[in-house]
This record gives sequence, structure tokens and C-alpha cells, in this order.
Amino acid sequence: MKTTRRGFSTGAAITALGLAKGAGAQAAAVKIGVIYPLSGNSASAGNYSKQAIEVGADVINNGNADLAKIMPLAKGGGLSGLGGAKIQPIFADNQGTPAAGQNQALRLISEEKVAALIGAYQSGITVTASAIAERHGIPFVNGESVAANLTERGFKWFFRVTPVAIDFARAYSEFLREQKAAGQKVGSIALVHENTEYGNSVGSVIGEQFAKDGLSITQKIAYSANSSDVQPQVLQLKEKNPDVLIFISYTSDAILYAKTMKEVNWKPSIMIADNAGFNDPAFVKSLGTTVEGLVNRSTFAGGKPGSVPALFNELYKKKTGGDDLDDVSARGLQGFLVLADALNRAGSTDPAKIRDALKATDLPAEQMVTGYDGVKFDDKGQNVKASTLVTQMRGGKYVAIWPKARATDQVILPYKGW
Amino acid sequence: MSFTLVQVIVSGLLLGAVYALFASGLTLVWGMMNVVNFAHGDFVMLGMYTAVVIWTALGGGPFASVPAAAILIATLGVLSYFLLVRHIMRGPMLAQILGTFGLALFLRYAAFWYFGADFKTLPDTLVGGSFTLGGVRFEGARMLAGVGGLAITLLLHVILTRTAMGSRMLAVSEDPVAAQLMGIRPQRMQAVAWAMAGAATGIAGALIATFFYTSPTVGETLAIIAFVTVSFGGFGSVLGALVAGLIIGVVESVSAYLIGPVYKDVIVYVLFVLVLWFRPQGLMGKA
Amino acid sequence: MNRYLFFGALVVLALVYPLLVQGIPVWERMGALVLLAAIGASAWNIVGGYAGQVSVGHAVFFGFGAYAAVVVYTHLGWPPIAGAPLGMLLSVILAAVIGVPTLRLSGHYFSMATIAVGELVRVLSSTSDFLGGAQGLGGPAMPRSVFDLSFLSATPFYYIFLAVLAFLLGLTWWIERARMGFYLRAIKDSERAARALGVSSGRYKLYAYMLSGAFTSLAGSLYLCMFGFVDPESGFGILISVKMVVMAALGGAGNLFGPLVGALILVPLEELSNSYLGGRGAGLTFVVYGAIIVIIARFLPSGLLSLFRPRPSKPAPKSEIASGHAD
Repeated sequence: MKTTRRGFSTGAAITALGLAKGAGAQAAAVKIGVIYPLSGNSASAGNYSKQAIEVGADVINNGNADLAKIMPLAKGGGLSGLGGAKIQPIFADNQGTPAAGQNQALRLISEEKVAALIGAYQSGITVTASAIAERHGIPFVNGESVAANLTERGFKWFFRVTPVAIDFARAYSEFLREQKAAGQKVGSIALVHENTEYGNSVGSVIGEQFAKDGLSITQKIAYSANSSDVQPQVLQLKEKNPDVLIFISYTSDAILYAKTMKEVNWKPSIMIADNAGFNDPAFVKSLGTTVEGLVNRSTFAGGKPGSVPALFNELYKKKTGGDDLDDVSARGLQGFLVLADALNRAGSTDPAKIRDALKATDLPAEQMVTGYDGVKFDDKGQNVKASTLVTQMRGGKYVAIWPKARATDQVILPYKGW
Repeated sequence: MSFTLVQVIVSGLLLGAVYALFASGLTLVWGMMNVVNFAHGDFVMLGMYTAVVIWTALGGGPFASVPAAAILIATLGVLSYFLLVRHIMRGPMLAQILGTFGLALFLRYAAFWYFGADFKTLPDTLVGGSFTLGGVRFEGARMLAGVGGLAITLLLHVILTRTAMGSRMLAVSEDPVAAQLMGIRPQRMQAVAWAMAGAATGIAGALIATFFYTSPTVGETLAIIAFVTVSFGGFGSVLGALVAGLIIGVVESVSAYLIGPVYKDVIVYVLFVLVLWFRPQGLMGKA
Repeated sequence: MNRYLFFGALVVLALVYPLLVQGIPVWERMGALVLLAAIGASAWNIVGGYAGQVSVGHAVFFGFGAYAAVVVYTHLGWPPIAGAPLGMLLSVILAAVIGVPTLRLSGHYFSMATIAVGELVRVLSSTSDFLGGAQGLGGPAMPRSVFDLSFLSATPFYYIFLAVLAFLLGLTWWIERARMGFYLRAIKDSERAARALGVSSGRYKLYAYMLSGAFTSLAGSLYLCMFGFVDPESGFGILISVKMVVMAALGGAGNLFGPLVGALILVPLEELSNSYLGGRGAGLTFVVYGAIIVIIARFLPSGLLSLFRPRPSKPAPKSEIASGHAD
């Protein structure tokens, strides 16, 4: 893990360039700027995404026979539309600050002369970084920021592949109503969310959607991220004893909640976690077995053997020494692949041509790493086919349980815990 | 009083003891020597990683990890004193902020580089479990940390007030020149203070790691509350930090339960500023 | 004579810098970033350096400035820069509100109280819908007029920042020589002695704090104009406060050009180390950045400018240690 992280970017670049063969050797590599939090509080997410994108670049440049059966891009030999040019991700650290994100975006555009940008994880940083791309007329593909207003700015160069908060809220709502029909109790619902941009925006959207669908949220607890102690909140929950508990938390708090709930010995009959912390490989590794039956939202689930997600997961596992792809890294990789596909069709590194190609993107569901119905952008640059899966923790691993069309396993309720 | 509220207060007291534990090393160097160590949180973080390494890689339990962390962080404390702190004490107070902030970044990201950004948690089987007393649940790992916090704070207090070494250290902190005239070597005493502070900090880290997650930035999360604890209690008063820690722990828990977790920090900070308004030297500091 | 020549050369260099790096956007921006950081640190210097009241909560004012700018845009549709005077005014009032209770505190107690107030405001801002809550607020996505200060190049910002910094340093220079400067130095050396001499120390500390807060707020408004986004962390985060202190201390606090020198070292160091090391994702940026700060603090605890201007009046080592908590 350690060794792969250290110095890999140079390694990837060298492999990408060094293995160039045939026509590819003549075409200059196409640089893609990738901005992620590689230090600071969100660094673990950023570093997972970075490795996933390195896997993606490796597949495009050097090929993968199994993936090539489904994805034309995976034939190897770089981007065929650009005479076999290799794709070269250039990574930059946004340090978790909007200022650093914007400074790095400018550097990637002006110094590295990247053809397009990807990033930047935190919505606030995506705001500032994409503003620079917009002014310079460089396409910006976002794989994971969910703030609703990102696509409401009238930008012409901004494309978002990920589903947003409302998609998640609808998925939970439908899932819960189905469970209700199947006889589960969903009369009282508690919503626990952290109080930064992510928890607040997702929390309020869920609240609105549930109210519309007749699901009643009986308890709402907002807490500051990176708490030193969550016992009072868990005791509050225990006292009210809701049927359904929904968490919107980052990793550090997810760890504390899972541990504290076990200590206090309380569990609801359905526990849902909105991705993020509860999906972090570090969480799954250390606490997966104490949250057996936890329902989660993820755009990524292992998938059936031989499918795109399964194949990419194997490659990722090999690279990281045993980690599975998770929701964040899979969405990052998906964003990268969408951009690569557009570059290939554009057949040029001219920004306007790349943008036109992005606009014309129409990728089918079977080529998705994530569980989207495909990729197709609307006028605002939002992927209208983005959707999410509902997963459940089964023996230390998440499996897809909803929607039925893509489920690999049956729903098992109530929540078992430890 | 509702039963849950009793449980909340108990968990607040345990949390408060942990805050006191976390702050104990800081009280010593800050309270006694008037040196503010912005890297304190990162010292604790390294103590936590020591526990993680000994626990997961070497297979040792708390009996191995606590002394190991104490020794390691004490060494780090002495090294920091001789290589950095001794020199920045010659400059204005600002130099301490500058130097220890640089040290904090350096240590935090050295840990980041070496251990990666992942969150680590210890298996809760070693000091896991909990017991119930009169219907109130006590959790093993937190009890251990809380009791450890009490023990270390009291031990530091006894050393400072009841031993010859403590008197010498106090003499240096009051007036190094006069102390030197009386045959005490100030630098040596200050190095001892840093070693003691380091040991306490290391123990704090190893104990906190048993129920908290460990990551390179965890020190940052806990550091501000440690600063507040020490000044709330009053510089130079180890017992003050303990009392302040307990008050902060209970206030946080109760306000998180009754008002809402988002506001618990707000209430602690307001309380802190109010205390300083009425007692500018903190709860138990010397005027 | 030599000194004036040297100084003149620096002024000319500052004026022509953008021409020298024209066409290299990263370096155009670097100049603006240095000046912006220097404005914040120089504003802090008035109260932290000259008056010796080490505030570690100046992000409160920075955030007020940034939010004032974005709020007039969001709620009134004005260009963000129009919020700058409002932010300055509010910050002066806020400085009085914070300063009256906290400036009575001595030494570290004051620093800690300012940290607490800073965190307090940060948490409260994240619960305010008017301020966009934790999601923060963005400035105009697309420039509507020239007053939105949305430029492709950083050079216009460079000259705006340069003008502001020149004004601020001029003002500080004037204060340094005016009666207030004497009082502040007296307070810094020994508040008790100053009071014994009839200096109304509380009042002058408060004046310095209010002035400092106003210009820190201006720095926040300018930040927003350039970056176009603020959330509680990037406006009120403790790192913003600490960076102001660190920059001033690195160059030399209580020295007119100290904060500028600090910014000239730290901003390029941060940007370059992030550009060259950040992409590897191993945290090396901050290992290098931290190590360099440690080395400077170790060898020049009074700041870089102490190299050029040895100040014999500075207290000798032992009395520094002796200060203990007797103060």
C-alpha cells in the first residue's frame, strides 16, 4: 500500500511512455490534469481515487484483453482516435482548500498544458477550480462532487458524471417504501448528519424528498465533523429508538459511531449509511464485521464476474495490494474514462472539439465501472443517466441489493450489527 | 433527572478525564515554561501510531504499547527541546508559534508519508467490553484512558509539588537566573520537563488509540480542545487542567445531548471566554 | 543613501514585476498571492507585532471580509468588491466587541481566547443559512461587468493588491512614528510600566485591534474577489489565522516589512512545493514546508529581518526565559 502510493505517479508515467509501441510512439502523450485532495483531512479519499485513475490510464495505454471485449477503449495502444497517443494523468494536490485547488488548476492549464481537467472531490474546491477552467476554455469533468449548484452556474465547459443528492434521496425513499410494503417497520426515521457541506446538503435533500413521499423523519441530529465523542448522540438515538437510522458521515465519525453503538448496545431495525465514511476501505477493513446488514448507497458494487466493475476491481486490487474499489474511487475512475472516451472521439486535443465530444457522449450501462445507467449529458452538463445502487454489508463486504435489475443478492433485514 | 442524562454525564466525565490526559503533557511545558507547543497534538498522534504499530504489527498489548509510546515520545520531547525549543526560547513568544507550527506540519506529514492517509483503528478485543454499575454503563477502554488520565495528572502534580526535582523545576520556571545561582542547571531541568511531558503525552496517545481512530491529522482534531483545557484551568496548574478537562467533558456531553452536537463547541468556547472574563488567570492559575 | 537606493530598486521591481513574468500565468498569480498574503499578515502585524498582542483568531476578520463581499453579491446582486467597506465597518465593530473582553488578558491567555472566538464564529457561520451554511457561497460565476473583478490574468489583481499594501504599509509607517506608535511599543515592552506612565493601554490596544481587524477584513474581501468562493473553513478556519502569524513571525513581527518578507518566502515555498511534490500524494509538500519553517525558527527566532537589523534593545535571552508566568 505504502510503496504503491509513493512515487507511483512517476512510475505510471514512465510505464505509459516507455511501453509505447508502433504508431503510439510518434504521437505525443495527451495530458489530463487531475486535482484531488492528496493531503489534509480528505487525503485518503483523494489517494484512492488517484490510484484508480492510474489503473484506468494503464488499461487505456497498455490494454486489457478481458475489458476490451466490452470497452473499446481497453484495446490498448493509447487513444486510437489520436493516432495511438498515450493518456497521461498529471496529479495535483488541492490540499483541501479552494485556493490551492484554483492555483493548481491554473498551473495544470498553463504550465502542463493539459487537454482537460478532472476533480476536485470537495464541492467547494470544484467551484473554484472549474471557474478557472471555464475562463480558459478548458473542459472540466467532475466525477464526485454533489453540490446541486455546480451545474447551475451556466458554465459551458463543465460536465458532471456523478449522480447528485436528489438521486440518492429518491433511491432511499423508494427502497424504504419497498421494505415497508414487504412488512418492515419504517414509521420513525432518524437522520444523523455531519455539519459540513456534504452532510448538510445531502441531509436537507433527503428530508425534502422523504416529506414528499410520506416518510416521516422523527429525529434529526446535526453534528460537527471530526467529533471527539459521539456518545451523547447515540444515547439520544437509543432513547427515541427509531425504526430506521440514516447516517451521513465521514470516515472518522463513522468509525466512532460504529464503535459507540456497539458499546452502548443499541441498533435500529434498518440502518442506512450514505456512502462516504461507511464506504471508506479503512472503515470496511476495521469495522465491517461490526455493521453486518448495514444498508449503504454506493455507485460501486463488485458486480458479476467478467463485468467491467469486477475486472477493474481486480486490477485495482492488484495495484493497491488488496483494497477493493469503493464508491469514491470508482466514481473518479468513471469520470476519467468518460473523458478518455470523449478525447478519443474528438480525435484532437483542441478544447472545443473535446467539449463537443463530451456533449455527444452516450455510453451504455454495460461499459460503466459504477452502477450508472450510462452517461449522457444534458445542457447544463449533468449526466442524466447517473443513478445509484443500494448495497448491504455481508460478511465484511458490500453486495448490491437494489434496484432488482442490478442486484446480486437478496435484502436481509433487520440490521444485525455485531 | 432522566436516566439517560446520568449516562451522558458519566460519559462526559470519562471524556473529560481523557481531555485532561491529552492536555497533561501540554500543561507541563506550557504552564511551567511558558512555551506553547503547537505540535502537541502531533506528539499525541505519534503516540497513537506507536500503539497501532506495536498492537497490529508486533502483536503487543497495552502493557507493551504504553511504555513504548512513553519512551518514544519522551525522546522526541527531549530532542525537540535541544534541537529547537531551547533556541526559539531566545526569541520573542512568536518564535514559539512559528517553530512549533513548523514542527507540527513536519511531524504530521512525516507520519502521513510513512503510514499513509488511511484511518487505523485498533481491534477492540484487548481492552474491550464494558460493565454496568447501578444501571450506568462504563466502557472498558474509556475507563482505562480516564483512570490513566487521572493517574498521570495526579502523578505530575505530586512530582511538581512534593519532590525536590519538582521544586527545582518550579524554581527554573519562576526565575532561571536565580535558580542557576542556587546551583540548578536550567537547561537540564527544562529538558527533564520536556521528557516528562513527552512521556505523559505518549501514554495519552497509546491510551486514546484504544478507542479512537488514528490518522495523521487526528492531532489537529484534538489539539484545540487541549489548548482550551490548559488555559481554562490556568497555566502552571496541573490540577487546574484536570478540573477544566472534566468540566469541558461534561459540558460538551450534556449540551450535545440537550441542545445539539453542533453547538457543544460553541458552548464550551463561550464558557471559556466567560471564565477568562471573570478570572483572567484561568480557574486555578496564579494571578 | 545606499538604503534609499536599495529601497527604490525594490519599489521599481515591485512595479514592473508583472511585466517581467508576463505570459507566465503561474508567476503572474504568484505575485498577486504574495501581496494578498502580505496584506493579511501586515494587518495582523499592527496588533500582533507592534502592540505585542498575539491574536491567533484573525480569521474572524478575514472571514467577515470574505463573507461581506459574497453576501452583497448573493443577496443584493452587487459586485463583491462593494462588500469590502461593509466588511471593514463590521470588522471594526466586531473588533470592539471581541477586544473589550479579551484584550484585558495577558500573553497566552489572549491568544487562546482569540482562538476560541475564532472557532466559535466558524461553527456559528456553518449553521447560518444567510451565509450559505457549511456549503459556503460562490461569487459571480461569470463576470457581469468590470466591477466583478473577474480577470483572466492575475495582473490586475496584482496592482490592486499592491496599491492596498502600499497604503497599509504607509499607514503603519505613519503610526510607527506617531504618538500611537510610541504607546504601542511601550505597551509591548511592559504594559504595567506603560500604564504607570499614564498610557491608557486598554484604549490603544483596542485602537490597534480595530485597525488591524479592518484591514484583515479587506484582505478577506480581496481574497473573495480573486477566488470567488468562501465556506466556513476557508474563511474562518484556524489555519488562516495561524498563517498570518507565521508569515509575520517569519519575516519579523513588529517590523514594517516583516510580514511582506515572510509572505515572499512562504507563499512561493508553499506553491512551488505543492506544484512539484504535491501530485505524488505522499504529503511531502508539508514535510519540506514544515522543515524549512523549523530551520528558520531555529536559527532566526526573531525573524529573517533580524539578520539585517540587529536590535540591541531586544531583551537578552535569560530575561525571555525569566518571563515565566510572572507577567
